Amino acid sequence: MRGIDFVLKRTLFALITIFVAVTLNFVLFRALPGDAISNMSKVPGASPALRAELTQEFGLDRSKWSQYWIYLRELSTGNLGVSYSNQEPVTTELSRAVMNTIPMVLLGTLFSIVFGTITGVLAAWKRRTVVDYGSVSTALIFYSLPTHWLGLMLLLLTAGILPRGGREDEFLFNPTFMEHMIDIGKHMLLPSLTLGLVLYGQYTLVTRSAMLETLGEDFILTARAKGLPDRRIVRRHAFRNAMLPVITLVALSLGYIVAGSILIETVFSWPGVGLLVSRSVERRDWPVLQGAFLILTISVVLCNYVADLLYFRLDPRITT
Amino acid sequence: MNSPVLRVDDLHVWFDLPHGQELHAVQGVSLELAAGERFGLVGESGCGKTTTILALMGLLPSSASVSGAVELDGYDLLADGEESMRPHRWKDIAMVFQGAMNALNPVQTVGAQVVEPMAFHGIADGDEAKVRAGELLEMVGIGADRADRYPHEFSGGMRQRAAIAMALACEPKVLLADEPTTALDVMVQAQILELLTGLSEDLGLTLVFVTHDIPVIAELCDRAAVMYAGEIVEEGPVDALYHEPLHPYTRLLFGAIPDPLGEKDVISIPGAPPRLDREIVGCPFNPRCDVAFERCVDQRPKLLQLGDRRRAACHRNDPASEAAS
Amino acid sequence: MSTALEQEPGVVAESSQRRLLKAVWELLKDRPSAVVGAAVLGLLVLLAIFAPLVAPHGIHDKIGEPFGSPSSYGPLGLDDGGTDVLSLLIWGARISLTVGFAASLVAILIGGTVGILAGYFGGATDSTLMRITDYFLAIPDVPLMIVVAAIWGPSLSHIVLVIGLLLWTSTARIVRAQVKSVRERVYVKRARALGAGSGRIIFRHVLPQVAPLLVANTVLTIAVAIFDETALAFLGLSDPSKISWGKMIRNATDSAAISAGAWWAIVPPGVCVAFVILACTLIGQAMEDALNPRLRVAHLAARGFRLRPRMLGDDL
Repeated sequence: MRGIDFVLKRTLFALITIFVAVTLNFVLFRALPGDAISNMSKVPGASPALRAELTQEFGLDRSKWSQYWIYLRELSTGNLGVSYSNQEPVTTELSRAVMNTIPMVLLGTLFSIVFGTITGVLAAWKRRTVVDYGSVSTALIFYSLPTHWLGLMLLLLTAGILPRGGREDEFLFNPTFMEHMIDIGKHMLLPSLTLGLVLYGQYTLVTRSAMLETLGEDFILTARAKGLPDRRIVRRHAFRNAMLPVITLVALSLGYIVAGSILIETVFSWPGVGLLVSRSVERRDWPVLQGAFLILTISVVLCNYVADLLYFRLDPRITT
Repeated sequence: MNSPVLRVDDLHVWFDLPHGQELHAVQGVSLELAAGERFGLVGESGCGKTTTILALMGLLPSSASVSGAVELDGYDLLADGEESMRPHRWKDIAMVFQGAMNALNPVQTVGAQVVEPMAFHGIADGDEAKVRAGELLEMVGIGADRADRYPHEFSGGMRQRAAIAMALACEPKVLLADEPTTALDVMVQAQILELLTGLSEDLGLTLVFVTHDIPVIAELCDRAAVMYAGEIVEEGPVDALYHEPLHPYTRLLFGAIPDPLGEKDVISIPGAPPRLDREIVGCPFNPRCDVAFERCVDQRPKLLQLGDRRRAACHRNDPASEAAS
Repeated sequence: MSTALEQEPGVVAESSQRRLLKAVWELLKDRPSAVVGAAVLGLLVLLAIFAPLVAPHGIHDKIGEPFGSPSSYGPLGLDDGGTDVLSLLIWGARISLTVGFAASLVAILIGGTVGILAGYFGGATDSTLMRITDYFLAIPDVPLMIVVAAIWGPSLSHIVLVIGLLLWTSTARIVRAQVKSVRERVYVKRARALGAGSGRIIFRHVLPQVAPLLVANTVLTIAVAIFDETALAFLGLSDPSKISWGKMIRNATDSAAISAGAWWAIVPPGVCVAFVILACTLIGQAMEDALNPRLRVAHLAARGFRLRPRMLGDDL
């Protein structure tokens, strides 16, 4: 079968990267000299019983190597420790946050991919026209704005029109399901839009240059020689070829999406993983920060893996 | 000659350069091609061969300006620029590009790319088009069962064959081939040339063959034109160009062919063609010419009809200047 | 190798520096966007250098009520502590630009070294270094920066190091590719055949060739580094005693400048960051374009070729 090697290689790379991230997570938090958490069981306000239990569970009185081993074992059962600030298991807090982050990030990313691709293609097609200059400068501006600052500006502009933060209006009395969903949607709009606009700039620029590259290929000249109208050439011949590098670059921008979501969720108090990161930084809540970092890293690695497979599906030339 | 299929009249192409300058790439080319004729267009690189045939299909970039007429069966394709050209592309004039490596779309199957123009120009649709695509591939020596392969799965020669099959999809009257055999090894080159000759005979195609490879022209073409500095300097039957050239450039160019017995060295013409971004005064070939005289320095020679089937642009053929030499 | 380098270090350094500057200028002069970018960046750097002379007030001077408006106090009004925003902006440029330049210097040093070693030596060195780079590239850098900065504790040097230590990967890849091609050039091969040591070849032949690319990359990295500083500051991970543009945005958010309607406390620092990022992007992209020209003509464009009337005067 075509490219079984490729799939195996990418799977292996993803698995190893996750393992590296897991190890890095341990090293950063517990093995570095001068690390902030020499004792994971220093949970503020915890009962001696809980402390003893944690010490036992994570083997905090043993050597670093056996701690690492215990860490891996606990991780495989989904045990990431207990939050310092509210004594809840980190896994519970994280899964709740992930469910909030995913729709917000998806909406924003979808927005930027759709509009970024369209303007990028148009700009390349209408190169050196007002369309091109206009979309490139808009894209450059959005690309240059600091994410959280753009969020703050949107807050400033929409003051009084859209909710300022959070996930839902807590004073909404006895809402129906629809009302509740609309309320959440309203709260989600600004965070998603901020992410969407920031990524929009990047995707426009990336798509434009990939498209320009493709329009210089000889097969575009062939398509023109066949008498096809420009629209059809762009749709049938240029677009799919130009999308190949764009997929890779969108995958590479995942780190950027993650960074953006941390900042945006902080600005809008959207209760996702990003907010968890900034709250745990503020409260020096190491177990939560550790868990959130792990989740973010693993999701980036997995998304990259999916992008690789997608690329493989779309490009018949890949065999290894 | 019976009425021509393709008539090119005083074709000029300019390209915009930075700082408002222009490059006059094609400087008044006129040609007449009969049905079923195999015609060669030769010259050093940069002399305007490729630009000329791209202009015949209107495939020039937006930095180009064109004037002149390209008539197909008496209808001026260039009358309204790209728009009047588009419906005739591939249906009446098709093209095989230089280096078929990149002329095929890498993410579409070869079959789909042969079918596409048929479906678009309303020649055939659906299964019928697929069957026809299979036949065309068979005709160029590729099994019909390989229609669902991607270009990268083909060798260079096969890709060029596929490109030829694609070019024949809409049964064009004229087929333009721009150096279709460069980058292929000698064996494959010979096969492709044979294929093109056979096709033009079987289908009555008018073939315009662009190359800098003189032996290829000798083998394939009935008639040829020699281009230099954007214009045709000599045109005639290939035999005549070989044995009694009327332009010094033709003589040197055809003389540059390696001798089959390998006794003579390959002659290359010293010097370089003139720059096309400034106006040429005198004969463009004069600085490199071994028989130039005063008139060549300040007067540009016209392309004169000499005898029945020959034209040349050299003062030496002008009876008026006979005395000077 | 060492003798050759010691013989004429001054000469080499000076001439190659001047050559580099000249090369950079050659790349930029025909590109208006790059010239604009350079002007903006230059202006901000000058403001930062001459902050004591230019800034109307000190960063601790309380000159009026909190959030005093621009109409009553100076061009940009006052922040939550009653300090002049314009002065904060000028002093903040010092910290922000220092972090940006220093962090990208760290990144370029690491990335350049890794790239040159991998590209020049190839083989096992190359595959090991690139494998490491791949893993670094796969792990999202901002969360990692946050974690490290949080554990190390906030201080200016930590921020510079954290950012620099995580931004080198793309530089390493680009430099490696370039070095690989330089390595195969005739004069490098000849130098090697003449018995020149690796160190000498790298410093005399390879480095000058990749230097313009490194400069382009540094400029692009500055933009990312300044963005990262702003992000870390926003999450409360910057040096509490230093005022930077990122810190200004954070302070304004903390003090609820938005609900107070004090846009002047929050708009200017963001605009400054955006200007720097924009300027660096324009310069860096122009340089990359110039170094790696893609002279391809698009086969499809908004408008087709033009028609000209037939030339009737028949004197050709």
